[in-house]
Amino acid sequence: MTSSRRWGRWAWVRRCGVYLLGSLLSGVATVLALPLLCIPGPSRLWADWHRYRAGRLLGAPFASRPALRATGRRARADSATVRTSRALLWLPANALAGVVFGLPALLCTGNIVVALIATPLWWAFRPEDRPRLFIDVPVTGWATALTLGPLQILLLTGLAYVGFAPIARAHARICLVVLSHSTNDELAERVAVLTRTRADVLDAHGAELRRIERDLHDGTQARLVAIAMRLAVARQAFSDNPRDEQFVEGLLREAHEGTEEAMTELREVIRSVYPPILADRGLDGALTAVATGCGVPTRLDIGDLERVPPAVEAVVYFTVAEALTNVTRHSQATAAGVRVSRTADRLSVVITDNGTGGADDRRGTGIAGIRRRVLALDGTVEVDSPAGGPTAITVELPCGW
Amino acid sequence: MRVVIAEDNVLLSTGLELLLGRAGFQIAAVAEDAAGFLTAVREHRPDVTIVDVRLPPSFRDEGIRAALQARREHPGLPVLVLSQYVEQQYAAELLSTTGGGVGYLLKDRVSRVDGFVDALRRVAAGGTAMDAEVIAQLVQRAGDPIAALTPREREVLALMAQGHDNNAIATQLVITDNAVHKHIGNIFAKLGLAVTDSGHRRVLAVLAYLNAGGQMSGR
Repeated sequence: MTSSRRWGRWAWVRRCGVYLLGSLLSGVATVLALPLLCIPGPSRLWADWHRYRAGRLLGAPFASRPALRATGRRARADSATVRTSRALLWLPANALAGVVFGLPALLCTGNIVVALIATPLWWAFRPEDRPRLFIDVPVTGWATALTLGPLQILLLTGLAYVGFAPIARAHARICLVVLSHSTNDELAERVAVLTRTRADVLDAHGAELRRIERDLHDGTQARLVAIAMRLAVARQAFSDNPRDEQFVEGLLREAHEGTEEAMTELREVIRSVYPPILADRGLDGALTAVATGCGVPTRLDIGDLERVPPAVEAVVYFTVAEALTNVTRHSQATAAGVRVSRTADRLSVVITDNGTGGADDRRGTGIAGIRRRVLALDGTVEVDSPAGGPTAITVELPCGW
Repeated sequence: MRVVIAEDNVLLSTGLELLLGRAGFQIAAVAEDAAGFLTAVREHRPDVTIVDVRLPPSFRDEGIRAALQARREHPGLPVLVLSQYVEQQYAAELLSTTGGGVGYLLKDRVSRVDGFVDALRRVAAGGTAMDAEVIAQLVQRAGDPIAALTPREREVLALMAQGHDNNAIATQLVITDNAVHKHIGNIFAKLGLAVTDSGHRRVLAVLAYLNAGGQMSGR
């Protein structure tokens, strides 16, 4: 073993010793502060801290959240419940493990310190208070001091050298076993989150289909029926009396106007299902069109988005279009900005303006509409718009499917 | 007048052939995609072309790109673009190419035969035919300066931007030529635009003004 590696080993032993003494202290502290630590918040912080130091000791990655972030309110509540119950379980475990694993470390370190003091300074103590080596052997002369003292130091140091690391690792492992999400827990939680968000998405999807069905049924279809009836009557009138031109002409005009209205309505329905410009030019081109079409000068900043699911693209498009319409109509802003960026599994959209602020869900349907669409995809909407401005609307959407 | 059409939907292309044939146009060719359209234009040198925005294979904006390319290859080629929806971005792109008539209309407009044929003739003659919805989008965007106009002046502005001349505006609004002339004078004064002649350049000036979001100063 080279000297540097030996020094490395000693530093490691010291670190394990500090860890074990810390565990002992925290075990005692857990007992003393038990009422406070039974509150979910502090107990989770206390547990997180232990998991952090145990993870660091073992070189394990520290993950305070499950792999899939729970974003729905209910899913977050579930996740919090699991974490709280584990944090509460950690309280007795910590007290017990801290004392059982920490006490040997304390005894070992303490007795080394005792020997270090006793060997050179045994004579400074009064006869009845003479320090004891090997637990019960009082030091009464240089002979005992110089033999037993170094022996005790040597023995205990050797013990620490050999024992501290495995004991500390054992403690850290217990800590992680109690506090970490097991694979099963993690999977169960993922399933719970996915089940919820999937149900929400299906609900929203169903509602959207019903809306489209209603629009087509009440609008376009009804108009086509009306047109067909007028044409039928016109044909009949024409065959009955070809000279009744005025009547036939009136019917044809109404039928013609009906087709135009039907086309206009159909266009609106199509636009609300999937914006045509998005199909033509993709998110980048569609947002460019919206930004250049905005009455307020708008700076557009689109990062590297890679592949974005069409449903997410549509929501981003509607969000930006709706938000910029609000900027033009209500904000009196002179400049606006749109920033779209992506981190691993989230797409974030920030729309800002330097207007008068005061935007909220109640004013107009703009923000409520954005919220409805974004929540349907399990995303989040934050509106920061103090009176007097400026306004920032931040939308985050999961897109790691 | 010879026409080349780029339209992949048979229902629509036969409809257009029927309608244009009755109006006295001669259909030189009907292409089903962008490449076919460009070939047909090279071959037939038509007086005017009609292009659908969405064409095979990807049904995105091939029509716009084909129209722009055809105008690059044949400067001054009149192009009327038809679409199921209007997008002022496309209008801006079409207007950015210089020389020759340009039109951009909703497909719905085809059903108003007279208006559609009139628009096609205007484009063939080097004029402009912008859909009322494009103009509405642009006017809405221009905001404040437009708000200073009276409702009647706004109507005149919209019709002028669509590419109509004084006569047509007077007929549509049922007012005299003189009144139209006065309204136009007021509009240009309020928007700070220099009055140009009543032709295509005037339309372009108004469209450029609207396209710039009403930010442009008078020239």
